[in-house]
Amino acid sequence: MPDQDPTSTSSAWLLRAGVAGAALLAIAGGAAFYFASQGRQAPQGGQDATVAVTARACEPNELTVPAGKRSFEILNQSDRPVEWEILDGVMVVAERENIAPGFRQTLSARLSPGDYEMTCGLLSNPRGVLHVTHSDEAAEAAATPTLRKLLGPLSEYKFYLIRQSGAMVDQAEALAAAIKAGDLAKARALYEPARVPYKHIEPAVFRFSDLENAIDPVADYLAKREEDPAFTGYHRIEYGLFAENSLDGLDAVADKLVADVTTLKDRLRQLKLSPAFLTENPGAMADQLAQGRIMAGEDHYAHTDLTDLEANLDGIDRIVELLNPVLEPAAPELAAKVSAQREAVRAALDGLRGADGFPPYDTVDEASRKALTEAFENLAAALNQIPDAIGLG
Amino acid sequence: MRLIPVVAASVVASTAAYGLALAADVTLELVEPITEYKIYVAENTEELVKDTEEFVAAIKAGDVEKAKSLFAPTRTSYEAVEPIAELFSDLDVSIDARADDYEQGEKDPKFTGFHRIEYVLWEQNTTDGLGEYADQLQADVTDLNDRINSLTFPPEVVVGGAAALMEEVAATKISGEEDRYSRTDLWDFQANFDGSEKIFELLKPIVSEQDPDFVAKVQANFDQVDETLAKYKTDHGFESYEKLTDSDRALLASRVNTLAEDLSTLRGKLGLD
Repeated sequence: MPDQDPTSTSSAWLLRAGVAGAALLAIAGGAAFYFASQGRQAPQGGQDATVAVTARACEPNELTVPAGKRSFEILNQSDRPVEWEILDGVMVVAERENIAPGFRQTLSARLSPGDYEMTCGLLSNPRGVLHVTHSDEAAEAAATPTLRKLLGPLSEYKFYLIRQSGAMVDQAEALAAAIKAGDLAKARALYEPARVPYKHIEPAVFRFSDLENAIDPVADYLAKREEDPAFTGYHRIEYGLFAENSLDGLDAVADKLVADVTTLKDRLRQLKLSPAFLTENPGAMADQLAQGRIMAGEDHYAHTDLTDLEANLDGIDRIVELLNPVLEPAAPELAAKVSAQREAVRAALDGLRGADGFPPYDTVDEASRKALTEAFENLAAALNQIPDAIGLG
Repeated sequence: MRLIPVVAASVVASTAAYGLALAADVTLELVEPITEYKIYVAENTEELVKDTEEFVAAIKAGDVEKAKSLFAPTRTSYEAVEPIAELFSDLDVSIDARADDYEQGEKDPKFTGFHRIEYVLWEQNTTDGLGEYADQLQADVTDLNDRINSLTFPPEVVVGGAAALMEEVAATKISGEEDRYSRTDLWDFQANFDGSEKIFELLKPIVSEQDPDFVAKVQANFDQVDETLAKYKTDHGFESYEKLTDSDRALLASRVNTLAEDLSTLRGKLGLD
């Protein structure tokens, strides 16, 4: 992206507002002297390339620079203010806006190898081409994971957690409303959709065992199974809806579920994410699925396990996709392995899908469950190498 | 989209240029403000889609007065998030280009979006011929909303956005050239300030640890801009740009430039140069 170099701010200001110049002088001291003088000075050395924007085109209209941090000097030789941009497809990689006629500006950008376009004044003017060639320096920098590179992925994952937990609360409320309205058919239809956002973010829920135990306990792990007072949350509702065919006693359970997922949403919003959170959780999630859950199943009464699994896989994929821009240059072989295993799991799941979607899990035989388990084991094995490949704790 | 890898490749820290005093390491504490900023942007583009629907409906109903009254308020959610919206060059051109960007000016059929609609509503006082432009605008803002939702925000664009918005004001708003037909520039002005101040507010807890004086100074300038703009608020929005007095224009210009200058140091202070 463009460097907001404090010594090359838009010259257009000075043209337009004399007041501005005065304020700059008063406040920016030495820097302001540079501003005031930068308008019509001789070309400065040290730029990687100089481009003149005329009324019709860029001159030259084709440039080649090596990858890395590159600086460009843009000279406006047209009679209107121009904007100069480096584009990667439709995305702006770097830009310098409002370069006044007759003025020159510098712009630096960190560029990866590839072909880019340059805008050249009027939108009707032809675009220029910028070739960025391989450089060892840039390749080495790209291959080194840094905290800075993970800031974007971490923030985006946090955004995902917030969005998904919002959907989780909305869906739980819709399910509770159907239960309280006495609408058994509607409540049944809303059961699995209510679980999907929870399954998306399940890797992040492991940190809150109190909530996990209240929201998603399975009767198999409780002393008195379905009669156990600790049997609450999604599966307690599922048991009523699909095994007892009754809404009896579910009002309170549904209220509690809504309260618990709301608490979970609030905690996730406060949660501080670390690089390890992102690098370790996909493998931990896949491990948990492979180590028993796929064989035993969880949705004993609704038999919607395959939809759960797909949502879990989507949640894992989300993290891997966010990590890939860092992982691929740092450990290309591992990235390829992870990608292949993700595809294998996806294929195994999709292979079970029928014309009406996934079949009930009680019709999925042991051999198919074993095959699924193996696919997740292989995925987990690849994912568990990510923490070491990226490092950064 | 090669954007993210390009951004990700930014390891060549250029701290030397700023000297040790301004050099800073990237901190994990930036995750929360970047996330909160994405929520802010996503809420704005969602609002933009909704408001545009109403704006388009008024145009299609041939209601010139209603369409005029909705023009400025509809734009504000775009103006507030321009640092991110501008990353998509195709949509930025289609939604917000001005006649000057085309050789034939207003005569160019490719001159579309808000300012084409503004031109026809105010200069020709009609909605005739705007149907297609209105549909295009709706499609574009919907596309923008979708793209923003799936975009990993580059940290340097978020942090640099506070200054970028002020530069935008300095370059195209102070002069009153942005909304030249409707004279609704003060609405854009306020939206640009709000967008910039939002970023500053989110970063304040981190920056105030290392430089409380800086934070106080920037805040004072934001407050002064807010006070100045508040003088021009009406029941429904803002006075025409022509009502802005020379002395207030001068005051705003000076504060805007100071803010742009000061805010442009945020990236360096946060290790994102």
